[in-house]
Amino acid sequence: MFRLDADRPVEFCDGLRRRDFLHAGSLATLGLSLTDWFGLRALGATDGSRAVNCILLMLIGGPSQLDTFDMKPNAPVEIRGPYKPIKTNVPGIEISENFPRTAKHADKFSLIRSVYHTAAAVHDTGHQMMQTGRLFQGGIEHPHMGCVLTKLKGPKGDVPAHVLLPRPIGNTGGNMPHGQTAGYLGKAFDPFVLNADPSDPNFKVPDLLPPDYLTALRVDRRRNWREMVDKSVSEFETSQDARLLDSTFHQAYTLMSSQKAREAFQLHHEPEPVREKYGLNRFGQSCLLARRLIEAGVRFVTVNMFETVFDEITWDIHGSKPFSPISCYRDLVGPMFDMAYASLLEELAERGLLSNTMVMATGEFGRTPKINPAGGRDHWPQCWTMLMGGGPIKGGTVVGSSDDIAAAPKERPVTPAQVAATVYRGLGIDLQIELPGAQGRPVPLVDRGVEPIRELFS
Amino acid sequence: MRLLLLLAAPVIAQQLVILPPAAELTGPEARQQLIAEGTAGDHQEDWTCATEWSSSDPKVATVDEHGLVRPAGNGEARITARAKGLEANIVVRVKDAHAPFTWSFRNHVIPVMTKMGCNQGACHGALAGKNGFKLTLRGYDPEVDFATLTRQSTGRRVSLADPTASLILLKPSFTIPHGGGKRFAKDSLEYRVIEEWIAAGAPPPTPADAEIRGLEVFPAAATLAPGAEQQLVVRAKYSDGHMDDVTRWVKFSSSNEGVATVDDWGHVKMNGSGEAAVTLWYSSRVLYSRLSVPFPNQISGEAYERFPRHNFIDDLVLAKLKSLHIAPSKIADDATFLRRAYLDAAGILPTSEEVENFLADKSPDKRAKAVERLLERDEFVDYWAYKWSDLLLVSSRRLNSTAMWAFYDWIRESVKENKPWNKFANEIFLSSGSTRQNGALNYYVLHKDPIDLAENATQAFLGQRITCARCHNHPLEKWTQTQYYEMANLFARVGVKNGAAAGDNVVFAKTSGDVLHPRLARPLPPTPLDGQSVPLDSPEDRRVAFAKWLTGQKNAMFSRTIVNRVWANFMGRGLVDPVDDMRATNPASNEELLAALTKDFIENGYDVQRLIRTIMNSSVYQLSSEANATNQSDDIYYSKHIIRRLSAEVILDAMSQVTGAPTAFQGYPAGTRALQLPDTQVKSEFLVSFGRPARNVCDAAERSSDPSIGQALHVINGDTLNKKLSAPEGTIALFLKLGLSDRRILEYMFLSAFSRYPSESERETLTAALEKAKLSKGTEEARRDAHRQALEDMVWAMLTSKEFLFNH
Repeated sequence: MFRLDADRPVEFCDGLRRRDFLHAGSLATLGLSLTDWFGLRALGATDGSRAVNCILLMLIGGPSQLDTFDMKPNAPVEIRGPYKPIKTNVPGIEISENFPRTAKHADKFSLIRSVYHTAAAVHDTGHQMMQTGRLFQGGIEHPHMGCVLTKLKGPKGDVPAHVLLPRPIGNTGGNMPHGQTAGYLGKAFDPFVLNADPSDPNFKVPDLLPPDYLTALRVDRRRNWREMVDKSVSEFETSQDARLLDSTFHQAYTLMSSQKAREAFQLHHEPEPVREKYGLNRFGQSCLLARRLIEAGVRFVTVNMFETVFDEITWDIHGSKPFSPISCYRDLVGPMFDMAYASLLEELAERGLLSNTMVMATGEFGRTPKINPAGGRDHWPQCWTMLMGGGPIKGGTVVGSSDDIAAAPKERPVTPAQVAATVYRGLGIDLQIELPGAQGRPVPLVDRGVEPIRELFS
Repeated sequence: MRLLLLLAAPVIAQQLVILPPAAELTGPEARQQLIAEGTAGDHQEDWTCATEWSSSDPKVATVDEHGLVRPAGNGEARITARAKGLEANIVVRVKDAHAPFTWSFRNHVIPVMTKMGCNQGACHGALAGKNGFKLTLRGYDPEVDFATLTRQSTGRRVSLADPTASLILLKPSFTIPHGGGKRFAKDSLEYRVIEEWIAAGAPPPTPADAEIRGLEVFPAAATLAPGAEQQLVVRAKYSDGHMDDVTRWVKFSSSNEGVATVDDWGHVKMNGSGEAAVTLWYSSRVLYSRLSVPFPNQISGEAYERFPRHNFIDDLVLAKLKSLHIAPSKIADDATFLRRAYLDAAGILPTSEEVENFLADKSPDKRAKAVERLLERDEFVDYWAYKWSDLLLVSSRRLNSTAMWAFYDWIRESVKENKPWNKFANEIFLSSGSTRQNGALNYYVLHKDPIDLAENATQAFLGQRITCARCHNHPLEKWTQTQYYEMANLFARVGVKNGAAAGDNVVFAKTSGDVLHPRLARPLPPTPLDGQSVPLDSPEDRRVAFAKWLTGQKNAMFSRTIVNRVWANFMGRGLVDPVDDMRATNPASNEELLAALTKDFIENGYDVQRLIRTIMNSSVYQLSSEANATNQSDDIYYSKHIIRRLSAEVILDAMSQVTGAPTAFQGYPAGTRALQLPDTQVKSEFLVSFGRPARNVCDAAERSSDPSIGQALHVINGDTLNKKLSAPEGTIALFLKLGLSDRRILEYMFLSAFSRYPSESERETLTAALEKAKLSKGTEEARRDAHRQALEDMVWAMLTSKEFLFNH
């Protein structure tokens, strides 16, 4: 019985090699979406291997700027909070004592201490804006930055262009979340969603390989016969969802047949000390997996640190149930971030990947300067700090600053739209282009007048 | 082409009207913008700027070349518009033209600040204000704002001694630096309103101020040409009877920017074909103007005439299609209809036998009869019980097993006896006692506090999201914070205590307890949204007032919401979309149809089955999903059937049905179908992957039907489908035992999976493929195995095909 993950090429009775056979299906019948897909792949192939990638760490819940990266030790106690600043390896830059390992890598990232947004102070708006650069209005679903990259450059080889780890953001109150998909670009450019916990001892990509009882020959035969059966009903040709279904099958077969893709997900091939270094938890192992995926050719990895803010210890420190207490920054969430983020920067640098991989970490907003009666801090989109480094982004600098109590930007206010423009520029995308919006109406990649943060580029 | 136009020109009917059709100007500062709305053939044009305006009596009212009317003296004047050889008149009545006048804080200053953005969330309307100056979000509390402006900051914000030295003029006019930049010029009306209000002594808002009672928009609806522009005019009506043109201070937005965009002044530009609602917000009142551009199609009248009309749904959909120049697709064939009807009404596929009988039936009313039979089936009850369990969040996550079953059983019984929808809701909101004996009461076990109850009840039964108003007036909608806490207070006296056994609770009406308005720190009289208040000291169970209002005939929202949900179930998209977002500024794609369905529903006793029957028997429901030349891009006006992926549970059950191998659910008897589960916590990788909702939040978007790579991987490699195909007791094994031919097996599988016979070419190619897969040598066992595997693979191909996974 042949296994798809056998290490050596296996000869089949018809002479096809195992690596090839899954590609040998009658591709021409797969319809428009596949044509798109191959067009994209061709584009991807022309793209040099030094093209810039991106890892986006979404710090769900919204870290408090005052307890993380914008300490105000001279402010009154109800402002400055319980934590003390520590020095980093860059003179003049201090961060919270909750991030001792990150402090050793401050030369690899820059802090933007004046990010703010003006939409409603709920999680969803920030999630939208930090992932798409825009607020969702007028019925338009804007695409995630990683999906834009997918649309423009396509996958590199057999791995998906954009992977979302470990699961999409769930309910954070109010509407179901927006901004995690390709939106108006079409679902064909949605990220590949892992939907599994990489820290699970039995972690594997669900159903990436055929079961033992199914031979490779049969998998291939089924694929061909499915295409044969599927030709009959013509009205599906105009249905986007139906075309998308074909595209998902095609992408699934591509993933299955790629040794490289399968290997990328084999977290247990990492030495135990490496796994431990990242932290044996969902976020830590997701960051490790992100590094493996970038090595395998994935262009954009989004890591959601948490799935929701309810009944889970997160950055959302309102201080009362079902949310989190401020102490979790010291006891759980802080160390979890510190281990994973520092290890990710360290390893990317060691492997020579940091120079072409941007790493950014941001919440959806900051938190109230004044500690609330429950001992926590509430939502505060008026000012927070985000971290950016790698690729063309300079390390060891601070952009912008906040006022004495980190309540508002004092210098160089930065909007989510500017952050998106910075990412696009970092990825080498021309900011002047337009994307095909709904009903063929072009939507500018970034709105006119929105500039990337130039100080971050050397 | 030119010749055609010349010939056509003289017969195009032209017409001119002035909007609004009459005007009243009260006070020296009153203004009214008029619109000269022309009709040319089948569409409207805004001729305002090409019009010659005149007043019959300039001593009463004057009109400028842009159609703006100003008062001059008391009395009546006739305003005349002349354009393109046509003429129209309206009467303008002027009152108090020389009466003393001061700008009102509530009705002028606050709207100016709101429109200029001063009190928006990004500026001083933020929870913490901006730079020490905090206004209420979009001016929802004029009293607080008045105090902030006049009492704080030692009177610098408003300087009575020298109005122009007031910070609220110096800053926004950028006379001195302002973080928010320049908001208005010194010679603007906005500046003058604030300056004159201060000069008049900055009078405070008082309870005697005229209160806004409603908005009107002109034109309320128009069909325009592509690229056309249209000015909107918005008029507010007040409690003292006067009216104001408030267009300048209205907040505009477009529901569909691909069709129409609107600027700050209410000037609309039509960008593409279709319909858009331009929504207006002013002083927590909302309204919309519905503007459309027909698609560029030439359609003969015959395309509409030959369309078979079965009931009013067909008439109203056709009327919409006609106005937008879209032709309906043809009626779907019998096989397609049958499969669709079974899936939509009962979540199952017809058996091969049912398909064969239906196709052989020659009676002309066989479709209607099939609908009747479906409504009688147990699977119909399962399907709708599941749907309402989604709605009411039945799950063992927060209910123990006894409570969950009691809740579910009550829902299922309700569907079975076709309980009228108003009675269904009333049983939740009017009952007390044991949650075990009356399963409906578990609603109060799931939603324990008044806030949660108020929010869930409005979302589930009215499709209204009022959560924003918990902290401030809804910034985009009509709901105010006051209304929110009046509403929440209706649920303040629901008591829940432990019952006789585990999983049993007792719901009772408490005699005291109130929800306090957080800012006023006092309870407000319990009042349903836009309904009648109950006195705070009334001893009556407040839920009675809520239930009466909720299910009262006057509350069309209640029926609109359920009608829209049921419609979406069959048509693939709600008339209002998303299906549970029934806010006032999200109009239906066919408002007339939703209104007619709602009226019919109320008049016929809130009968859900009757509604289902009406929908299923319409020709519109029975349209083919195949597009014609005119409706390829239409997915909201129901000119063709919308193709959509089946839901997670339906796919799984259908796979079980075709393969004859039921899914085993832990803790449930063998043979239980996914749609019979009362609980979404039941473990199933398949259901999770295909988008089963967790039933955590009352939101239709919790269920996903988007295809994904994960789903493809699961059907290719996962155990669910693979194990069904090879099940020893399954259909394939049985057929092999019976020794049926490949041809016959294929035919059976086509009938049961696709509800149709295979075509001749399908028979040929697929039988040939199976034949080719047969082993020519080897043991008999090996040959038998190979044949069985080939059949499994063929059925796999069918059960993962689009035709199977989609309802079309």
